[in-house]
Amino acid sequence: MDYTNDPDCKVPIQLIINMPELMENPFKERIVESFSEAGDGNLSFNDFVDMFSVLSEMAPRELKAIYAFKIYDFNTDNFICKSDLEQTLNKLTREELTPEEVNLVCEKVIEEADLDGDGKLAFADFENMISRAPDFLSTFHIRI
Amino acid sequence: MSQQNRDGVLNPAYHHSETLEMDRGSPQRSQHQNPYASEDFRPRWDGGPAGRGGPEVLPPYDMERGPWDTTETIPMRPLPSEQDFGERYPSTSPQVHNGFGFEWEPANENSLAPPGWQQNSLEGHQAYRQGGESSVRQRGVRKYSLFPTGTLSTSALERLGFKEDEFQDVLEEERQDLVRELAAMSSRDRVRAVRQLPMNLQEKDQIRKKVLLKKTSEKQHQEQNCCTDCSQNVSMSFRRCGASFSAVPQALQLWQGTLKEIGGKFGTSVLSYFLFLKWLLMFNIFSFLVNFGFITVPQLLDHEAKNTGTFRGLEILTGAGYFSNSVLYYGFYSNGTVSGGSASGNSTSGMPQYNMQLAYFFTIGAYLVLCCISLVYSAARSFRENFMLAGAVVGNAGRLLSSWDFSVVNEKAVRLRQDNLRTQLKESLAEKTNENLSLTLSQKLARFGIHVAAWLVSTGMAAGCCAGVYFLCCYNMNLINKSPASQSLTAEAGTLLLPVVVSLINLVIPLLYSLFKKVEPFTFPRHQIYALIIRNVLLKMSILAMLCYFWLEQVVENDNINCWETFVGQDIYRLIIIDFIFCLLGSFFGEFLHNVIGTKCLSGLGVPEFDIARNVLDLIYAQTLAWIGIFFSPLLPAIQIIKLFLIFYLKKVSLMQNCQPPKRSWRAAQMMTTFILLLFFPSFSGALSVVAFIVWRKAPSESCGPFRGLAVPYDAVSQWMDSVDIDFHGSSCAVWIYNNLIKSVLFFLIITLLVLILIYLYWQIVAGRKVLIVLLQEQISNEGKDKTFLLEKIEKLKAQISAQTAQRGGAEVSHRTGSRAFQRSRRRSQDRGSRGLERGRVSTVDQGSRSPGRGRMPEYEPRSRGRDTALPGYVQEGIGTASMLGSEREYPGRADYLQEDPYSQEDSTGPPVPSALVQALLARRQAEEEDEEEGY
Repeated sequence: MDYTNDPDCKVPIQLIINMPELMENPFKERIVESFSEAGDGNLSFNDFVDMFSVLSEMAPRELKAIYAFKIYDFNTDNFICKSDLEQTLNKLTREELTPEEVNLVCEKVIEEADLDGDGKLAFADFENMISRAPDFLSTFHIRI
Repeated sequence: MSQQNRDGVLNPAYHHSETLEMDRGSPQRSQHQNPYASEDFRPRWDGGPAGRGGPEVLPPYDMERGPWDTTETIPMRPLPSEQDFGERYPSTSPQVHNGFGFEWEPANENSLAPPGWQQNSLEGHQAYRQGGESSVRQRGVRKYSLFPTGTLSTSALERLGFKEDEFQDVLEEERQDLVRELAAMSSRDRVRAVRQLPMNLQEKDQIRKKVLLKKTSEKQHQEQNCCTDCSQNVSMSFRRCGASFSAVPQALQLWQGTLKEIGGKFGTSVLSYFLFLKWLLMFNIFSFLVNFGFITVPQLLDHEAKNTGTFRGLEILTGAGYFSNSVLYYGFYSNGTVSGGSASGNSTSGMPQYNMQLAYFFTIGAYLVLCCISLVYSAARSFRENFMLAGAVVGNAGRLLSSWDFSVVNEKAVRLRQDNLRTQLKESLAEKTNENLSLTLSQKLARFGIHVAAWLVSTGMAAGCCAGVYFLCCYNMNLINKSPASQSLTAEAGTLLLPVVVSLINLVIPLLYSLFKKVEPFTFPRHQIYALIIRNVLLKMSILAMLCYFWLEQVVENDNINCWETFVGQDIYRLIIIDFIFCLLGSFFGEFLHNVIGTKCLSGLGVPEFDIARNVLDLIYAQTLAWIGIFFSPLLPAIQIIKLFLIFYLKKVSLMQNCQPPKRSWRAAQMMTTFILLLFFPSFSGALSVVAFIVWRKAPSESCGPFRGLAVPYDAVSQWMDSVDIDFHGSSCAVWIYNNLIKSVLFFLIITLLVLILIYLYWQIVAGRKVLIVLLQEQISNEGKDKTFLLEKIEKLKAQISAQTAQRGGAEVSHRTGSRAFQRSRRRSQDRGSRGLERGRVSTVDQGSRSPGRGRMPEYEPRSRGRDTALPGYVQEGIGTASMLGSEREYPGRADYLQEDPYSQEDSTGPPVPSALVQALLARRQAEEEDEEEGY
């Protein structure tokens, strides 16, 4: 890849998710996809810088919340719905919960966090939840 | 525009249009594919408008090209032209009729995600970006409340029915606004605001350039002269300088790599201990620099005072002997003035005099005040950040969505974390089922009894320890009284007894306390941690208080000690050093042996966890000692620096070798706030009051130290003020301030009263806000209820109407039909012929089947708010409801509601609203309002 002559070149997703900082992260694909311009996970230089700037210590809470929402929004429909939660849960527990348990947990999560009762979490719900979880600011942070 | 709308509504052909059908995309489309960029769709875009004579269409937005290649392009995909929906999503797809209508219904929420939303998601980036601009906007007027999905983002605008040129205008305007707003900010705010935009680097750069351009063009209007130019340059260079200075601490970050390693292996919670340690280290480095610079260096320049002692080695532990007559302690400092190289108490040369008394007093004072400010500042900031809304406990939701620690990069640690999370989730599920088993009265009583007993035992232990320490002190005193000037090694080593006992207490008793958890049941693990912390703090602080009492009452009065300040300083020095040694032993025995036994002999014991609370409390204890000792031994921070530095590496090695990450999720941020508060309240304020008591009340030693010969150390200041009054008549202002403000009780009384009044006012404001929050939360849930209620009503009406139309045979009423299935069949059978014509009228708004009914809606009706369009079709009937709903939605907490609510679906699908529905809604609202009134 020749960045000087062809600044539009992109680093393929496979390379990026094998970085030591991301390799073990259960959400690595989603992180990279959320920050890629085209949504396919291939990052241009700018995307890459964006990614680590949002995941840095200095990024403001609002920005972090926006991108965290994007990461958890697996089907990119601008809502965290039940299927997104199921995927999140499976990634967080290495798919070792029974389907009933997964279902139960997801329902409970929606029940807890859904303010307007539409059965899925919009960004406002998510942000409200994040504001009650002060650790989020320090945990949504990748040290480089 | 409104004219057009009406046309749209009144023209029956409009309702037969293909739009509704076309709006459905094929649900099979892959998530991230961009149909607009794909070759198949492109020609249609190009050919579309010209062929059908629709309104002008912009070229398709090509994602790959990068959004803002030309600065004038709006960072969004332009709206699809009206007639293109059908073309883009040809109705030949077999699924076409599936996810249509009330897509939010659970039945087809996932795999058949409403195409409209998918499409929406394709614009994800742009939408988020727009939202981000809004976040800047929030600083100023919260004109639009947009969240990432942006209430005014492309999709929303589309749904609101803007034509693309207007839409472009709006966007352009919005961007202009943003630029203007940014230009109006101060440069520091601007940098921060630009940083907060959720855009990519390139776009931020564009925005920044625009802002700068605007600024410079504005400046050109102003008259330019040399002066403004110069000041501009100066301010610019200052800013650059400041920026490079602010980068320095980041470049100098201590232990960056080590901290990353710890965070990667053990997570943020353990990391927070090390960050706390680092913070304390910085504190001590600062205080060392201050003390060394302003007290020690001038003293060292004074050659008259010489240290005459022999170094024996034991001094490192005891701090006595050789050290007792050195710059380490209060007693060594002279009470005269120092000037230049050869200084003496009564130098009469013209060189400025350096008064050691004042230097000592003001350096310690300034250091303590700075400490106080910095502590209050960090405590307040941490409190604001971490307890902001943290009232409610985040259960599963928080555990799932916000607890994952992204900084963990170690494979084993990730595994462990996943396992822990799974167990926790399982536990919480099990708890939910057991929740209803409430405790019987006897069980409650038993629990209460156990708590009381535990508290009694722990307080009793603390009291016993205090008494033991006090008697030990008295015993030491007696020894000194018997042989006052003993210099033997054994006597010196004997002084180590007290610190060893104190450290032993500090090591053993907390372990006993943590054993309580085996018998003491707590409903929440949080309470257990807090109880443990309170007991430990109680123990440590009462021992310190006892020591202080001993020093201030017994040592000061003792005639056999010729310099009691140095004596106390030595005691504190010994306490700090022995505490450090016990810390070493503690991590060896506590962690290393535990690990060895746990892995080799008793596997039931397991690998130890790093006990964050205990370790942090140890640090707080040591820091308290250092603060108390600062008056007696100005160089104590140097010892503390060395100690903290070594502890860092020791703990790191011990952690890496012996420990495992904590199993329970540890609310690191909140705990850190608690620790900072603890550091402030009992620890720092205690030390401060001790020092203040000495300065204002205790007579200094007769024969040593800077304050020798004074009644109390504070007299140095009052004498100085008197001499200033005599020597310099010009500085009467300072003297007046001293006499009338500093010494005046009345002044402080008034200040205190004012502060109390302010506190009361703020208290009231906070109380008011709490009520407001409760109200708003209730409103949100009410709004949710409203929504479901309306949806139910509409469903019912739909069913009714479709039944009616079915009875009537339905051909002529199709445009009023709520039933989708019916529409579809109708459309298929009848409307083919008129399709081309109608396409011209098809909604631009509608980009997906999410709002299939949109096609029937007045397209360009001027709307102030999204839901004004609710209950479409029949504008007149709709108005009442619409405005009512519109007004309701304006409460602040939910300004972004617009974007996400399924109302917009229901609006559009809804049939003409019969007045019955409106009345029903009104009735419900009224009932609710009455309820609320009763409630408040």
